Amino acid sequence: MEFIAGTVVMIGIFVILASSYNLIIGYGGLNTVAHPIFFALGAYTAALLGAHAGLPPILGVIAGIAVAVIAAVVLAVTTLRISGDYLLIASLGFQLGLLQLVNNFEFTGGPSGVSDIPLTLAGPNRGLIYVAITLASAVVVVWAIWRTMNSPFGRVVRAMRDDELACAALGRSLISIKILIFSMGCGAAGLAGGIYAYYFQYISPEQFQVAQSAQILTMVVLGGIGTTLGPIVGALVLVALPQAINFLHLPSSMVGPVQGIIFTSLVISFLFLRPGGLVGKTGSGAAH
Amino acid sequence: MIEPIILLQILWSGIAMSSYYVLLTLAFALTLKVEKLWNFAQAGLMGVAFYTMFFTLNAMAMPIWLGLLLGVTATVAVSVLLEYFGFAVLRRRNSGGLTFFIFTLVFSQFVAYVLTILFGTEPETIYPSVMSPVRIIGGVAVSNWDLIAISTMAVLLVALSLALRFTRDGQFMIAVADNAKLAEIYGISATRAYMLSGAIAAVLLTAGIYLYGTRGGVTPDLPLGLVLTAVIGTLMGGLGRVFAAGLAAVLLALLQSFSILVIPSKWQALLLYGVLFGTLILFPRGIPSWRVPRIRAPEPGVEPVTETGG
Repeated sequence: MEFIAGTVVMIGIFVILASSYNLIIGYGGLNTVAHPIFFALGAYTAALLGAHAGLPPILGVIAGIAVAVIAAVVLAVTTLRISGDYLLIASLGFQLGLLQLVNNFEFTGGPSGVSDIPLTLAGPNRGLIYVAITLASAVVVVWAIWRTMNSPFGRVVRAMRDDELACAALGRSLISIKILIFSMGCGAAGLAGGIYAYYFQYISPEQFQVAQSAQILTMVVLGGIGTTLGPIVGALVLVALPQAINFLHLPSSMVGPVQGIIFTSLVISFLFLRPGGLVGKTGSGAAH
Repeated sequence: MIEPIILLQILWSGIAMSSYYVLLTLAFALTLKVEKLWNFAQAGLMGVAFYTMFFTLNAMAMPIWLGLLLGVTATVAVSVLLEYFGFAVLRRRNSGGLTFFIFTLVFSQFVAYVLTILFGTEPETIYPSVMSPVRIIGGVAVSNWDLIAISTMAVLLVALSLALRFTRDGQFMIAVADNAKLAEIYGISATRAYMLSGAIAAVLLTAGIYLYGTRGGVTPDLPLGLVLTAVIGTLMGGLGRVFAAGLAAVLLALLQSFSILVIPSKWQALLLYGVLFGTLILFPRGIPSWRVPRIRAPEPGVEPVTETGG
């Protein structure tokens, strides 16, 4: 039961991550790969405030969201004047640099991470309560993104993605729109991080590596970039399918690499067999 | 006050260490120039090259020439297959940069996972020992490894330069890099140029990871970090300037070497990422003074050249 609850919590967390990433990259057209670092900032802020300041979980999660938003604004203000591949690489540098800081600071626990995150819910129903919290958060995030993208502001965002020059010519402030979209998406990643930290009660830098950038990006692209349903389907498929390996009772040292092989094989297969994503348009030229 | 001989030693060691950075950066920059591809799959190719040589030279104790030959062959073969079944297909579909990025990164991860299952996560070296005989020249310790590394880098640099300038395929690669569609109109096969640049990059990667693996341990997930160093060098050199990227790699290696005087080793990686981030923000087109000068407009008063016909 705990295994199933853990898997569903992970699916919920990745739905939040993939949907918020889709807001930035799919709707906003901002090619960044730094999403996991905002997830990490949310997780570390909530964990450290819970473990060392005794802050209630809800305030810890809110603080995590705030820190992620602040970091997003910093990254956006410094990098959004460059675009395309350059932005992609700059965001990679930002992600790796910040992760290196987390890895080296003593107050973040260094490479060992934070393991004394307080237990917030106890008892046999802990897993189910977290499933409810995570799924409710995921529904709220997906709904908020859907609502935003179907509002007049959402149409401006899509117009900016499709033709920046024309959008600017209509008097829109592109930088403000980019910062807003970026902050919203990264704030949601911070929320996912807070839930992750309190549910698993252990976080370390290696959980937020570059591989996770590819993982979330893949969920978005394979589900269907620029669609509401795509990231949800992508997260569901790519979290649930590799879990099947747990039933083969492999040695513990083999589980991670075999899951990784299944994951990467799925990604490569989908990239070539269904480039438009599972719920996106069929045909070529997916993912920008 | 630091003694000059110590600075000289750090300079020499930094230049020797830059040898593999230069080779890996040249490979990355060449692929980016010719194929317009941020090829993170080169991390996977490095993994293939290293573990082929580790298996043949360390585990099987084969002769050096055979191990190197098998390493180069395996890496070039994977590179060609990657081009044929991967990049060529994505290009035909007009896939965007993001798709290429995902594919190359995920391919490298796939290779790393396979290598983890085959060889484990412990650091391995190409030979059982990484010790190299040392001689003192003018107070500076010079190891055999230093000399081999610098000569390998120099030979491959010259060979690449000659190949690009004086062979037909080299010139065709430059033409494709400048304008692939126009080159094809003139009968140059872009596919062949892409395949060839990938193969040359595979040779450079094999040489680079051989040098790295004869000096320190390699794990399946290490090559991705090396690719990032190559990315930084390429960006500092400026896109499309392969040899300037190589020069930037030397500067990066020296920066890392000299930074031990002021920065603890655990912060050195942060220094690299800082340079990457800073270069992109401040010089997104490369260090300005390294740029190829633009053709200047004629001075006022100079008669413009007009077409007279005939």
